[in-house]
Order: sequence, then structure tokens, then C-alpha cells
Amino acid sequence: MVQIFAAQVFFICFRESLETSIIVSVLLSFLKQTLSREDEKPVYRKLVRQVWLGVILGLAICLIIGGTMIVIFYRFQSDLFAKYDYIWEGVFGFIASAIITIMGAALLRISKLRDKWRVKIAAALEANSADETSSGDTGLKGLKLFGEKYAMFLLPFVTALREGLEGVVFIGGVSLGLPAASFPLAVVCGLGAGALIGFLLYRGGNASSLQLFLVASTCFLYLVAAGLLSRSVWFLENYPWNTALGGDAAETGSGPGSYDIRQSVWHVNCCNPEIDGGGWWGVFNSLLGWQNSATYGSVISYNLYCVAVGAGFLVMGLREKYGGWSVSRYKGKSNTRVVT
Amino acid sequence: MAISLTSFLLPICLFISLARTATLTYDFDVAWTHANPDGQYNRPVIGINGQWPIPSIVATKGDQVIVNVKNSLRNESTSLHFHGLYMNGTTHMDGPVAVTQCGILPGSSFTYNFTIDQPGTYWYHSHVRGQYPDGLRGPLIVKDPENPFKGQYDEEVVLTFSDWYHESMPKLMSGFISIANPSGAEPVPQAALVNDTQNLSVKIEPGKTYMFRMINIGAFAAQYVWFEDHTMRIVEVDGIYTEPMDAEMLYVTAAQRYSVLVTAKNDTSSNFAFVGSMDEDLFDVFPDGLNPNVTGWLVYDDTKAKPEAKLIDSFDSQFDDFTLVPYDKESIYSNVDQSITLDMKMDNLNDGANYAFFNDITYVAPKVPTLYTTLSTSANATNPLIYGYNTNPFVLSQNQVVEIILNNDDPGKHPFHLHGHAFQVIARSEEEAGAFDPNNATQIAFAATPIRRDTVLVRPNGHIVLRFQSNNPGIWLFHCHLEWHMASGLAITLIEAPLTLQSQLSGKIPQDHWDVCKAGDVPVVGNAAGNTVDVLDLTGENKSPGELPAGFTGRGIVALVFSCLSAFVGMAVIGWYGLKPIEKKTK
Repeated sequence: MVQIFAAQVFFICFRESLETSIIVSVLLSFLKQTLSREDEKPVYRKLVRQVWLGVILGLAICLIIGGTMIVIFYRFQSDLFAKYDYIWEGVFGFIASAIITIMGAALLRISKLRDKWRVKIAAALEANSADETSSGDTGLKGLKLFGEKYAMFLLPFVTALREGLEGVVFIGGVSLGLPAASFPLAVVCGLGAGALIGFLLYRGGNASSLQLFLVASTCFLYLVAAGLLSRSVWFLENYPWNTALGGDAAETGSGPGSYDIRQSVWHVNCCNPEIDGGGWWGVFNSLLGWQNSATYGSVISYNLYCVAVGAGFLVMGLREKYGGWSVSRYKGKSNTRVVT
Repeated sequence: MAISLTSFLLPICLFISLARTATLTYDFDVAWTHANPDGQYNRPVIGINGQWPIPSIVATKGDQVIVNVKNSLRNESTSLHFHGLYMNGTTHMDGPVAVTQCGILPGSSFTYNFTIDQPGTYWYHSHVRGQYPDGLRGPLIVKDPENPFKGQYDEEVVLTFSDWYHESMPKLMSGFISIANPSGAEPVPQAALVNDTQNLSVKIEPGKTYMFRMINIGAFAAQYVWFEDHTMRIVEVDGIYTEPMDAEMLYVTAAQRYSVLVTAKNDTSSNFAFVGSMDEDLFDVFPDGLNPNVTGWLVYDDTKAKPEAKLIDSFDSQFDDFTLVPYDKESIYSNVDQSITLDMKMDNLNDGANYAFFNDITYVAPKVPTLYTTLSTSANATNPLIYGYNTNPFVLSQNQVVEIILNNDDPGKHPFHLHGHAFQVIARSEEEAGAFDPNNATQIAFAATPIRRDTVLVRPNGHIVLRFQSNNPGIWLFHCHLEWHMASGLAITLIEAPLTLQSQLSGKIPQDHWDVCKAGDVPVVGNAAGNTVDVLDLTGENKSPGELPAGFTGRGIVALVFSCLSAFVGMAVIGWYGLKPIEKKTK
């Protein structure tokens, strides 16, 4: 069986494509339902293009970077990626978590202001570049505007980049012990399975009430973001440990010595999402941040994040109800091109 | 009238034979000096009287030896153990710190005073944790006027084989037993030495037979030893004469000794190399540039070239010391009075470091040296409890046949050494044979005249069975002679005939032994925790770090539950927010 189907490769591909396809399907479904009117079709198509562009560009760039890393690995025998693997995962996970956090809130809020938002988004995209240069936006403000305008591009781009790089480097360089014939089927199945779930989510989303779908998918996205933040902190905490051990902490398995006891909150000698592809525990890790060896940082950051998100939404909800910030104030704070 | 010649000669003969047992006195000033034995690195080493390699102790059977040790090291305690000597009646001179004495502090002095009644090849070394590989080790030769092989050889040559590290032991030790070394990988030596050098030439005259007394004084590496084109005839191992047996290649573990006869060739047309090759099986890494071999030369003609050692294909021709037969043909001790089974393993404790265990106990030195506990606890001295948990004590009665069954649950080759005795090697299994099974017929087909020695190899995941007679009251350690494993706790304590020991030694411990304890504030009465009031109360004894938790601890469960709760709460708030419509405000 292992001759034609490498289970580790399947799980890696499945995990990566699952995260990406979930985000893509949520965005696409949201767009489909929000911009459902005929006159919004051009905007809709533009935004859909942004999403797909993000995915494709992210994949393309990670193929390039990954390919370069693999060449360096084979030519110069230096496993660059493995050395800084933990830092890369930590930093990128943090960025991805931040982006999802902001996007999630925006999506929910926006759905409540569907009408207003339609106009805004349409106006924003129809506005030509003269507007942008005339307002003289530079630096941080410019970045913010850019982010808002191309949010539909950024989120899938960052996700695809991160997930894809992990997958490419692993498949290309690390799994040397597996017969080459076992790769294609595993890769195709993994990617296919992830894409299928995304597709089902999309269809399911379209079929149900937008509000309910949005709430459910936003909850899920936030769980993913919490897991990402927890993982990010875990990687950053484990980088010095991995270095102290000589860079092969993952190879010592799950038993004593594979983790730093001084930072450990819990540890079980099984269910490790890091070794040998990770299996279902790897999926659990990708979706919800599961670790078989949790550190103080990873647990505390997870809890703090949930509390912060909850508090943030509570505040937003209470402000909407009891004033402070009215809808018009919100309108005023974001995209300035709309005039009611 | 005329005094009979015999009555005149007899007292003279007696006087002469008495006079032949001498008293040798050595004054050793132990201090740091520098050396560069492999030509690669000049490093601090522990020398004696300003010299390194340290002097050999050479005695004759029956001699009394007095070693006055002055510790001028300034930063480390020291002690000396005379490896292989039984120390009959003088267990307090055996040397291991916290077992039979306190450490000799810098500035203090200590005298070892004992009689040697056993001929053979031995060595002496520091018995302070991890110290002797820094240089405090050297040969101890006991000549025998009644040597059964006297006349079969012309000259004796002493060859010491050793591994050699560039870094000093305290630094290596702290890196070895540390949270950053969870797999317990032992440091790899940088070189191999013979007679503490690397270009040894031994002048050989054609036709003569030489007895090479070979000692492995290393910390870690066993060595394969062979003389090119010359056969070795084994005549002694660890002080026990053997029936002569020929060997092409020997496997000498750390601390073992072999005496072999080598007959020189009859022509001087060329010189021949002999090699000590370190066994790399236990090396964690093989750094580039590490030469595991050391070459010496049998020089017939010093105008001729000294040839490079020839490469060999395998170590298969190594001699199996299990096949040796002792010269006295002592038969196997067949009625075992006490059998001790030791299951050995390596594992991590909750400080993250890797330790070694016998029966799930890792050795930790007690507060009161074990011998002093025996001497100060009267009738309670026969109760193993008073010696502490982590000293892994076993009390032996006098004049019994004691058996040790050691099951090696580790894929490493370990040399085990017993103080105070030579044991019969009853059985040694092959690799991967697992634990000793007394019901397995092939495992219990013991030899009728098993070889005796004091340091024996156990194979990876195999077992050994040893037997000895408890005819030497004393406190004797049984431990792995890889210095790294000694430090990680692979030792047990045998308390042999404690009541006889009390009558032998009470009041006889010299004052300088007590003085070094006083200088170090080490308690000398009571149980392993220093308790003199209730010796069964071991509160405060030295213990090892605790075990690693095997799964979710309380803190882990709380963390996981809390995380799930906060996730649910977060989602509830999101749900509330998302489903709640915005109330349009009119302005």
C-alpha cells in the first residue's frame, strides 16, 4: 500500500488544502450572497477574481521559494528551512491569525450592514486612482487602505503562501525515504479531499441563511485563528529548545526529551502532530491548534485570545446597542469615499 | 657442640622471607599540570608530584603499601581507588567517596594503608565523580615470585590504553547530565592513547618472549588490541592467572586488564605495528577527523622504518574472554545462597536529564558514607533500609555464595565492575538475548570452570550471571565502569557482613579519615540521612529527581478544560453578536 500511497504526504496535503479551501470557500460564499444583485455582478466578479488571484499567486510564490529551498538543500547540503522552520511557522502563523481576526470581525459587521456596504464597496472599486493620489495617503494609512481594498486578495494569498510553503518543502525535500511512485496519488487525494470539503462548505453556505452561515463560519474561523496564534507562540517557544538540542527535537519522537519540561503544561507520549506527517493529529493541530506537548505560552495565548475576541465582540455589540459609536460614525471611520 | 647448620640456616631463611615482604611508601601530591599527549591540544591534567603521566605503583605480592595523598588541586576533592585489589580487612582504604570515605578536600591529606596479597595487573584511579579521565589514573603492578609462567618470558612491558578528551571533565559532565541532552549521548573522545602517548616504540630483541601487561585506563571507549603478525598468549586477566590461550585480537573494555605473552620473531628485518582501536559502537557521533586508532611499534631494528598499521576488514577475530579457564581451575560455585537480579535501563527524570537505573533506582550518594553508617548503627546495620533508597543497598551475609543476574535493557555495551572481589562469569548471553531465564535450558548450561575477573562486558539487550563468595566483609560498589554511566547512577551498594565489619573496624578508622570528613562538614554517624536517633527515619536523605509525569497532570487537565471553555464562551459571544440585528439609529 505504501508503494503507491504515502500516508504522510496525503495528510500534509490534506491539512494544507483544508485550511486554504475553508477560507476561500467562506469568502466566496459570502461574496456570492452579499453581492447577489444583477447590478453588482461586476463588483462580484472583481472580488472573486481577487480571491482566486490571491490563492494562485500565493501558491506560485511558495512554489518558487520552496523550489529554491530544495535546490539549496540539495546543492549545498544545508537545510535552511529546517533551521529556521520554527521561526517561520511562528511568525507567519501570527500574521495569519491577525489577518483572520480582523477579517472575521469585518465580515460579520459587514453582513449586518449589507446595504450600506454594497454601496461602499461598489463606489470604492469604481473610484479611479485619481482619488487615491489626491488624498495623499502614504505610510500606514495607505497600507490600511490597501489592506481594505484588497482584503479579498490578501487573506487567501497569505494563507496559500504559508500552507503551500510548508507542503512544498516537506514533499520536495524531507520525505526522502518514500518511493517516488507513492507521491502522486497521495498528493492528488490530499489536495482533492481538502478542496472537496471547501466546495461542500461553499454549497452549504449558499444554501443556508447568510446570517447563520456567516456566524457559524466566523466562529470556525476564529477557532482556527486561536489555534494559529497558539501554534505560533508554541513554535517561537520551542525554537530555542530545538536549537539547544542540536536542531532535531522532532526526531526524538514524543517521549521524554522531545520537549522542554520546564515549559510544559501537559505532555502525552502520543498524538504528536509534528512527527511523520502528523496524521489526524496534524489535522486537529491545523484546525484547532492541538499540541500533544503544550507550553505555558501556547495555553495562555489561546485563552487570552478567546477572551480578547469575546470581549471585543461584546464591546462592539454593546456599543451598537447603546450608542457611543453609531452606524454613521463607523461609516465615517472606514472607507471615506462613500457619501450617503 | 657444632650448631646444626639447619638450625642456623632456618631462622635466617625465615628472616629473609619475612624481609622480602616490603613496605612501600608513596607520597603523592595531587595537583594540576599541563599535557598534550596526542599532539593536538595542550590541556590541564591532574598530575602527581608535578608529573604526568602519573607514576606507576609497583609492588610484590605480600607487600604493604602506604600511599600518602595530599590534595593540591585547589578546586576539586579527590580520592584514590586501587582497582581490582580486594582490600581484605581494609575496606576503608578502598577509595569511593561517600561509600568508604569522605572526599579529600583541597589542602587535606589522607593515607591509604593496605597489604596486597594478590599478584597481577591492576590500576589505580580517582574515585570522585567524573575525575579520573582528567588524568588521575595509572598502572598498579603486583609482581609474583611464584608466578606459574615465570621462566616463560624474559621481560615485562606495561601498556596502558586510553581514550582521551580535550575538554575537561567538569564541563563535559555538566553538558552530559543536562536537560539539553535528553537521550544521554555520551561525549565522544578526541583521540586514543597507548602509554599516554601516540608514538610508542617498544624495543624488542629477537627470540625473546615478552609479557605485555595491558590495562584499559580509559573513561569510556573499549579497545580492540592486536599485534600485527604476532600472536598473543593470554596468561592473566584482572589479576587471575588463566590457562594459556592464544588470541589474534583482544577486546579490552574500560578497566579490564590482560597479560599476554608475545614471542618476538627471530629476525630483525622489519618492525611491526600494534594497534589499539577504540570501539565506536557507543559513540553518538563520528566527527570528521577523529582517528579512533592509536599505533605503537615493536621495534626490532630502530634504523628500519616504522610501518603504518594495516587496515583490517572486521573485528570478528576478537577473543571471547568467556572461554578462558582460570589457572587454578576453581570449579563453579554451585549452591547459591543469595541471588540478586538487577534490571538495568536508561530513562529521563523530571529535570529532563537522562539517568541510569538498576531496578528503577538511580544511584545517589548518601549524606553519611555508607561504611560509617554501618559502623555507627550497631544491630541495625543489617537492615538495608538504613542505607537509604537511592544507594540501592543489598546486605550480604558472610561466607555465602552470592549470585548477580544482570539484565541489560539498553542497546549499549557496558563493562561492570565489582569492588572487593573477583567474580566467576557464569553466563554471558549474546546480543538481544533478553533477560536471563532460569528455565531456559540453553541459558543454564554453565561452564564447569568459569573464568574469574573483576570487570566484565554485558552485551546489548543481553544478560550476564556472576557468582562470588562473600568472604570479604566490607562496603563494595558494583557499577558500570563507563565514567558517564557511573555519574548517571548505574551503581548498587553491597554491604557485606556488616556485623563482622563492625568488629573488624570499629575504633580502627585512622584519624586522618575522620579529619577530611570534618573539613568537609560531612556527617559520619547515623543512617543515610544522618539520623542517629531513629535510623529507620530517612527524612532528608539525598534523593534523585522525581519521575516524569506520564500523561495529563492536574495542571494539564485544568489548562485543557479552561481552553475549551474559553473557546466556547468566545463563540457564544460571536454568535450573540452576529445574530443580533443592528438597531438603526436616526440622526
